[in-house]
Amino acid sequence: MQDLLTVISLGSIYLLFALGMSLTWGTIDILNFSHGSIFMFSTFTSYLVLGETTLPFVAVALIAVVVGAVLSVAIQVLAFEQIIKRARTKKNAEMQILIGGIGIAIIPLAIAQHHTKSNPFGLRASSFEVETWLLGDLRVTNISVITIVVAVALWAAVSLWLHRSRHGLALRSIGVDAEVASLMGVDRRRLALATMAVSGGLAGLAGVLFTFSLGALTPESGDTLLVKAFAIIILGGVGSMLGVAFGAFFLAACEVWVLTQTSGSWVEAVSFGLIFLVLLVRPAGVFGRKEVRRT
Amino acid sequence: MSATHTEPGGSLPTGVDPVLEVDDVKVHFGGVKAVDGISMKLMPGMIHGIIGPNGSGKSTLIGAMTRLTRLTSGRLLFDGEEYQNASAAVVARKRVARTFQTVRLLPDLTVLENIQLGADARADDKSGNVLTRLLGKQISPAVRDAVSRTNLEGFEDFYPSELSYGTQRRVEIARAIATGPRLLLLDEPTAGMNQKERAEISALLQSLRTDGLCQLLVEHDVQMMIDTCDHVYAMNFGRLIAEGTPTDVVRSPQVQEAYLGRKWRDHA
Amino acid sequence: MMQFYFSNIVLIQATMTGLLLALSIQVPIRMGVFSFAGAGAYGIGCYAGAIFVLDHQLGAIPTIVITCLMTGVIVLALGVLIQKLTGLYLAMATVAFCLIISVIAINGGTTTGGSTGRYGVISDFTMGGMFAITAVALVLVALSERGRLGRRVDAVREDPELAASMGVNVRRYRLVAFAVSGVLGGLAGSMNILVRSAVSPLDIGFHLIVLALTMIIVGGSLSWKGAVLGALIFTWLPDLLKVVGQWQELIYGVIVALAAVLLPRGLYGIYVDTKRSVQRRRREAAGPPAGGSDDETHAERLEPEMEGQR
Repeated sequence: MQDLLTVISLGSIYLLFALGMSLTWGTIDILNFSHGSIFMFSTFTSYLVLGETTLPFVAVALIAVVVGAVLSVAIQVLAFEQIIKRARTKKNAEMQILIGGIGIAIIPLAIAQHHTKSNPFGLRASSFEVETWLLGDLRVTNISVITIVVAVALWAAVSLWLHRSRHGLALRSIGVDAEVASLMGVDRRRLALATMAVSGGLAGLAGVLFTFSLGALTPESGDTLLVKAFAIIILGGVGSMLGVAFGAFFLAACEVWVLTQTSGSWVEAVSFGLIFLVLLVRPAGVFGRKEVRRT
Repeated sequence: MSATHTEPGGSLPTGVDPVLEVDDVKVHFGGVKAVDGISMKLMPGMIHGIIGPNGSGKSTLIGAMTRLTRLTSGRLLFDGEEYQNASAAVVARKRVARTFQTVRLLPDLTVLENIQLGADARADDKSGNVLTRLLGKQISPAVRDAVSRTNLEGFEDFYPSELSYGTQRRVEIARAIATGPRLLLLDEPTAGMNQKERAEISALLQSLRTDGLCQLLVEHDVQMMIDTCDHVYAMNFGRLIAEGTPTDVVRSPQVQEAYLGRKWRDHA
Repeated sequence: MMQFYFSNIVLIQATMTGLLLALSIQVPIRMGVFSFAGAGAYGIGCYAGAIFVLDHQLGAIPTIVITCLMTGVIVLALGVLIQKLTGLYLAMATVAFCLIISVIAINGGTTTGGSTGRYGVISDFTMGGMFAITAVALVLVALSERGRLGRRVDAVREDPELAASMGVNVRRYRLVAFAVSGVLGGLAGSMNILVRSAVSPLDIGFHLIVLALTMIIVGGSLSWKGAVLGALIFTWLPDLLKVVGQWQELIYGVIVALAAVLLPRGLYGIYVDTKRSVQRRRREAAGPPAGGSDDETHAERLEPEMEGQR
C-alpha cells in the first residue's frame, strides 16, 4: 500500500512535468528541450524570493508558475519562432528546435549553478510545513496529497480544454494539419504562445511540488526529468492526453518496483530502456494515433 | 472495366519487346486507391505520355515504377525481368532515370555537381582511375554532354538557389540524362517553364528518342503532349480510361469528360 | 613555442579527443542520421580502454584498436536495431543508449569501478601516437566529403528518395554512418582514458552530447572544418573566459544558444555563404552566361517548403 501511494505521488509529479511537454509537442510540434531548465529555474526563482521574505505555499507556487510561463514564452519568441522562420524544411526545423532547446537550457543552468555552486536548494524558508499523517499503517504527507490532487485536476483541465473549447479544437487542428488550421482562420502565433505559456506554467508548478516533496532540487535534475518525460510521452503516444497519464504512472510504477527489487542505482535505466522498447515495438505508443509519421 | 482502346492508329508496334511492362499494378494507401489496376507497355524509341487530372495517380504510378512507392499488388518487368521486389537503388542501376514533380536539387552542390550525381550512378563510367573517380573533382563526359543538350552552358558553377525555376528544371532533366538511361520518366518536366523553354524541352526529348531512348512523360499541357508524344495513356481515379495516339486520346469522350472538359471550363 | 606546448598539453589533448567526439556525431548528421550514439561509444571507449590496460595488461595501440572495433560493432548493431527510426525518434533512442551506458558504468561492480570509476590507467601511449591517429582519422573523414562519395553523402542527407533514384543504397550508407560514428567515438574515448588515466560515471553521459553538439553547431555541421573550428573554440574558450571570471558558463551558454538559433550552419556556413556571394557578384560583374535563357534569375525563387520532402 505504501508503495502504491509512492507510485501515485511520483507519477503525479511526472504527469505535471510531462503534461507541458506533451502539450507543446502534440499540438505545435515543439519538443522543448529547455522544459527541464524552465522547471528548475522557476523553482530556483521561488527559492531566491524566499531568501528575501517568507511566503505561503500558494505564493511560492504562483511565482514559479509565472516565471515558468514567462520563460517559456520568451524562449518561443526569441528562439523557436526564429528557427521556424529560417528553417528550410519542417524536418530541419524540428531538429534545430531540439538542438536550440538543448543550447538554451545551458543558460538558466549556468546561472543556477553559479549561484548555488551546484548544491541542492530547497524551499524550506516558506511558511509551508510538510506534515505526515498516519492512516492505519499508511504514512501520508500533506504535500503528496496536494501533488496528486493538483496533477489530476490540471491533467483533467488540460484534456478538457483540448477536447472541448474552440481554442483546443484549433490547437488540435494545428497538430493534425497546419494548413487546414490556418485556413480555419486560426491565429497560429497567438495559440502557440498561449500553449507555451501553459506548458511553462505547468513546469514551474511541477518544480515547486517536486521540491516540496523531495525536500531539495539540484540544478541538474531537470535533465533527467526531461528524458523521463520523453519516455512517458512516447509510451502513451504523442498528442494523447490519456497516454501521458498512463505513461507517467506506468513509469512511476516501474521505477518504484525496480527500487524495491534492486539497490536503486538501476532506477534511471528504467526510463531509458522504456524509450528503446517502445520505439522498437510500438512507435505510436499505447494510445497513439494509428498513423505514425514517417519522417 | 478494362481501359478503352481508341483503335485504330493507337496500337503499339508489335514484334518489338517493351523496355518496361506494367502488369495490373495497384497502389492503395489505406482506403485510397491511388493506382488501381494499371497495365501498360513502354517501347524503345518511343515517347509515351500520361495525362489525367490532378490526383489521378500519375505520379504515384511513376513512384511505383521506380520502386520509391510500395506496390499493393501487380508486376513490373524491365526487359522482361520482374523487379517489383527490387529496391529503388537497384532499379536506378538498371538505368531507369526519373525527374520529380517538384524540383529536387541538392542546394549545396553546383549545377555541374548536381548533374554529376546522375553520372555517378553509371557503372560503366571508366573515366580516370578509381581514386579520382571516387574522390576527385573529375567531371564525366556524360555530364558535359547533358549540359550541352539541355543548354545549360554558362550555368555550371551556379548553385540551384541562384537559378530561375525553369532553369532548375533543366538541371533536373540534365541529371537524369547524365545517368545514361534506357528509360526516362519525366514527371511534369515543363511545369513553370515559358513557351520558349517548353519548345526547347520538346525538341530535346525528340532528339533523345532518335537515340533509341524510351520515355514516359507526365504532362498537363495538351499542346506539349500532342507535339511530343507518340503514344498517350489517359488516367483518372487510378485507372486507365483511354490510350492511343495523342490526338485520338485527347478527342476521346472519356478524356474530354474526365479531364479536358473540366480543365477547359476552368480556363475559360 | 615548446613552452606553450608543454604548459598547454592537457588542452591540446582535449582538443583532439573533443574533435574526434564531435566528428563521431557529425559524420552521421552529414548523412542525415541524427544519432548521438557516438557519445555512448565514447563512454564505452573510456571504460574499455581502462579495462584492457588495467585488467588485461594490453599496450596502448592494441587497446585502441580492439576498443574501436568493439564500439564500431556495438553502434552498428544499435543501428541495425533502430534503422527504421528517423528524426526526433532516432535522436532520442540514441540519447537513451548513451544514458544506459552511464547507468551500466555505475552498476558494473569492480569491472567499471562503480561510482568511483577506474583510475591509474598508465600505458605506453605517446603524444606522437595521438597526433598521428587523430590526423589519420581526420583525413579519412575529410576524404568522405570529396568527389562522388561526398555528393552521395549529401544526397542521402538532403533527399534520401532522390539518392535512391540515383542508385545509392541509402540503407547501407546509414548503417555505415552508425559504424563510423561508433569507431570515432571509441577512438576519442580510448585515447582520452590513455592520456587522462581516470574515468568515472560523471565523465560520460548527457553533457558529452551537449559538448559535441555545441562544437558542431557553432563550428558548422556540414564539414570537418566546422568540427575542427568547434573543437578548438570550445576546448580553449573556457580557458580564455577565465578572464571574465565565474560567468564563463553563462557566456558559453549564450554563445551556444545564439549559434543554434541564428547560425544553423555554424561559422563554417558563414564562410561558405560569403564565398558564394562573392563568386556571384564577380559573375554578375562579368555579364550573363553565354548559353541558355535564365531571364527570371532571382525573380521566382521558390518559397521555402515547410512541408518537407513528403
